[in-house]
Amino acid sequence: MDKSHASGCAAKIPAGILAGLLNSLPADPLARKRLLTSARSNEDAAIVRMPSGKALVQTIDFFTPLVNDPYAFGQIAAANAISDVYAMGGEPWCVMNIVCFPVNGYPFEILEEILAGGAAKAAEAGAVLAGGHSIGDTEIKYGLAVTGIVNPESFAANTNLRPGQVLMLTKSLGTGILATAVKVAWEGAEAMEQDVIRTASKLNAGPARVIRELGLTAATDITGFGLGGHLLEMAEASRVDIRIEAKALPVLPRVHEMASVGLLPAGSHANKRFRKPETLVAPGVDPLLVDIAFDAQTSGGIVLALMPNQVAAARNLLSDSADEAHVIGSVLPPSGGPRLHIV
Amino acid sequence: MDAITVDCRTMPCPQPIIRLKRLLEESSPERILVIVDNEPALENVSRFLASQGYAATSTAEPGLWRIAALREGDAASCKAPDSAVARKKAGNASENNDKVLVLLASPVFGSGDDALGGKLMKNFLATLPEFGKTLWRLVLLNGGVTLAAENSPVIDELRNLEQSGTDILVCGACLDFFELLARKAVGQTTNMLDVVTSMQVADKVIIL
Repeated sequence: MDKSHASGCAAKIPAGILAGLLNSLPADPLARKRLLTSARSNEDAAIVRMPSGKALVQTIDFFTPLVNDPYAFGQIAAANAISDVYAMGGEPWCVMNIVCFPVNGYPFEILEEILAGGAAKAAEAGAVLAGGHSIGDTEIKYGLAVTGIVNPESFAANTNLRPGQVLMLTKSLGTGILATAVKVAWEGAEAMEQDVIRTASKLNAGPARVIRELGLTAATDITGFGLGGHLLEMAEASRVDIRIEAKALPVLPRVHEMASVGLLPAGSHANKRFRKPETLVAPGVDPLLVDIAFDAQTSGGIVLALMPNQVAAARNLLSDSADEAHVIGSVLPPSGGPRLHIV
Repeated sequence: MDAITVDCRTMPCPQPIIRLKRLLEESSPERILVIVDNEPALENVSRFLASQGYAATSTAEPGLWRIAALREGDAASCKAPDSAVARKKAGNASENNDKVLVLLASPVFGSGDDALGGKLMKNFLATLPEFGKTLWRLVLLNGGVTLAAENSPVIDELRNLEQSGTDILVCGACLDFFELLARKAVGQTTNMLDVVTSMQVADKVIIL
């Protein structure tokens, strides 16, 4: 514990700088209706109006930068944090910033950009920014604590997979591998970074709408444990097996090539190794696709569990919101052996 | 000739790849000995070396692995220009870095006679490598996606393009429509957003 470089509240970012940064954020039109306290009066906490009859969805996520553009990083970190609310079928209601920033190291304009990116995504998601907390640190970290609202009688959980359901994924895979290629400045890094930014900063609002409109009871978002890891969490919670078709997996451009030259991040190796005992890979499956299935995703898509007769409706809804819709596999009765079958 | 030793112990991922990439860009040593201290690094480094035309074998010791790599002979040097490192060199040498995107929305070339159109398409795809490195992405849409399915008459031509560094993007919704999702044999599944972004980023778009 004595390795901390400052004690408790002494580690805060200087007040004058913080005030300037926060005042430079655009005024939030939702604040007037939803916040009972003023965001500009330095209250100890925010008081937020709640719609009656709804249950709260609460989650928090933050991480270190994976792209070089601070505004895009803010957008991605916010989209990633908000995604957990969407994965339950909820609607984002209010968010709070969590910021770690080196006080002596980077210009504060970078922090301003990060916060602006995050605020823009929160606004796009229809959530009010209610406050936040910042601390000086050796490296940049940013994210959100998110509160959403959901119908207490109808939400999507990991526990409700049933044999016969079809699994649909709403974003292509490979952001972990591409971010690694960007980090090593591989040729074409700029285009790859743009692909990461475009996919990871996209809100999962469309898939959440599918959950609500079709009354789906099982879904999850794909993040750090990779598609395989998150599917196994669902399979274990629901006591079923899952089969995914390797060739049906949607993969971002150049991911396969980057995996083939060894640009798999350590986290993705760890995901695959940790889940090896629960994973059965059919002979002839491209091993690189298995790696991609366990690639750690940042702000990945949502896996929706659909009855076969709901696939067309889900596809139509996702098409309306310009989301991808890839049927990647199905839910099987438990075999007693490994729960994830990659064929 | 003695092997060049690259000690990658204690290096966090992906530092070993950065070190080796730099080494291969500066010189192209015949023998390299790489030392790593974790399995992910062993796997990544072995893959990287194989992708750059090296035959690599590894030996395990407690807590570390030694990867001995030998640049493959003349047969392999034909493969080398395909490698990402060599591609970068070629890209730097020629000033022409324009990105050309070719979009195929049909399995045949033009209208008139489909048997002829099929032959023309095969010939077109076989000749397309004449574009050289500027051929950036080939996008297959609508009936064009059948070209990328198993048993397609042009699968070798498409694989050849992919190996020379052209991204082949295959419309996922179209594969699904033709029930070919599980039978795609080449290329990466893509969506309309990728297609539109690719068109925007490309310097030249050719639609057939």
